[in-house]
Amino acid sequence: MSTTIIIIVNIALSVVLAVGLTPLWVWWERRIAGFIQDRSGPNRCSIGVIRLGGLVQAVADMLKLIFKEDFTPSHIKHKFFFTIAPAIVFMASFLTFAVIPYADVLTIDGKAHTMQAIPNELGIMWFLAFAGLSVYGIILGGYSSQSKYGLLGSIRASAQVISYEAAMGLSIISMIVSYGSIHLTDIVNAQTGTYLGVIPMWGIFIQPLAAVIFIVCSFAETNRAPFDLAEGESEIVAGYHTEYSAMKFGLFQVGEYAAMSASSALIVTLFFGGYQIPWMDTATIQSNINYVILAIIILLPVKIFIFTRWMKKNNKRVGNDTSREKETKILTVIFWSLCLVIVGVLISFLVTGLGTNGVNIATAVLQVGTFMVKFFMMAFVYMWVRWTVLRIRYDQLQMLGWKVLIPLALLNIVITAIVVVLGN
Amino acid sequence: MAIKIVPRYGSSFRDKLYIPAIAGGMKTTFKHFFKNLRDVEGLPTLQYPEVQPTDITERYRGVHRLTKHDDGTEKCVACFMCATACPAECIFIEAEERFDGVDEKRPKEFKIDLLECVFCGYCVEACPCDAIRMDTGIFSFTASSRKEFVLDKKALMKNERSKDFE
Repeated sequence: MSTTIIIIVNIALSVVLAVGLTPLWVWWERRIAGFIQDRSGPNRCSIGVIRLGGLVQAVADMLKLIFKEDFTPSHIKHKFFFTIAPAIVFMASFLTFAVIPYADVLTIDGKAHTMQAIPNELGIMWFLAFAGLSVYGIILGGYSSQSKYGLLGSIRASAQVISYEAAMGLSIISMIVSYGSIHLTDIVNAQTGTYLGVIPMWGIFIQPLAAVIFIVCSFAETNRAPFDLAEGESEIVAGYHTEYSAMKFGLFQVGEYAAMSASSALIVTLFFGGYQIPWMDTATIQSNINYVILAIIILLPVKIFIFTRWMKKNNKRVGNDTSREKETKILTVIFWSLCLVIVGVLISFLVTGLGTNGVNIATAVLQVGTFMVKFFMMAFVYMWVRWTVLRIRYDQLQMLGWKVLIPLALLNIVITAIVVVLGN
Repeated sequence: MAIKIVPRYGSSFRDKLYIPAIAGGMKTTFKHFFKNLRDVEGLPTLQYPEVQPTDITERYRGVHRLTKHDDGTEKCVACFMCATACPAECIFIEAEERFDGVDEKRPKEFKIDLLECVFCGYCVEACPCDAIRMDTGIFSFTASSRKEFVLDKKALMKNERSKDFE
């Protein structure tokens, strides 16, 4: 019974994180772009008075894409490949999420459960395989479009793959050498503890060079700025998805955001301690669960207070329109009642005490929460970079990949190997 | 004339690293993001339909109006100068005789098709009686059919000088 529930929870988590978050990402992208460029971004779409800062706009956009006519231009000969291309991008990006561990191994009634959607032993190899596969969808889509812009996008995508893939694999090899495992749960557990009692022993502090190389390569792998040259909307219309419309285009978009989610999850897992709470490993949380709960009971209302005050300040009436004031009031009530419910549940845990299973589950929930916080921060970095760094040409990308990143990654492997061999 | 030597960037080691420059750019964008997130009201964006612009200048050419004498009758004498000057040919005047002693002629009907109008202001320039002006400050005129865009004499006389220009 517990096995089934855990599997369902894990699969639901990956579906939500990989696919369900797409409207949120679209909204974030547009609002963050707006704020970075001193604009406001979409903020007017609403259901009743509920705007949620424009989040409703993303839902409306998705609805529009679903109900649009699915148009296939008549000049396309290979309709099968044309149709299957967005599905390949989407499935490959979606499946990369399957090996990300959301929490430490969860023990219930003495039985250990790996907190992954597909609990296999392939670990990072699975990620590399499917992340590499997603580009086939892009190449196929552009190629079967039979238009010059689609073809140019595909050519650029293939040029991009040969530029970054080698450096990415090499940077991962140095990580595997230093962690001694390809299993992501082992990799995260190797990142517990601290240097000198202060700096958490995260991958980025152990292997800063590999971290930089991997992060650069995963930006290239997700086809996002500054490496979105396969799309290149200012040069080649829309690149590989020029001929696509409606939900086929929507699938490309969802696939792109799923790839972004998967990459940020993997960067968090490899270099930012994954689900580890800094300075607290799983055993520490389990033995001090009461203090952790107490800390949450104190911190949660403070956070809600700060958030509602920010909302009150920034969601004022506009002109004579009072709907935003009403929304602020409704949301304040909702947030405070949620906060009270959570605090009440936590107090009841404190009073009655948790069993062994309860402590384990609470630890897992905390770790999932930690993972989510890091994951969202990394996704923010993705958008932040997109609106900061300029798109580079694909010869520049090849130059960067072959002349800079691969030698650096090889050097890093040599250094890591020497340190590991001498260290043991 | 002295030759101005523009410094070339990109040859030093620091420039070739790219990372300091990217970090600098990221710092700038994050500053903007954080400033605007903390205080959304500080954005220069106007929340338009609710908040209207207040910085329209007095010379702004908005929707036309027909000026009036003190007794509320029109100043227009139906001389057809505006209709003649109009490059878009959007002014349609029907004249009639006027018997109240103020003038000899008055427009029976005075129509402006705003869909044809290019808002050049030549009609205002041409008018010898200061009877037509474009100082209403109305910059957005909306309607749901073509007919509603044709303003008649009644509508034009109802328009007033914008309060912002006082």
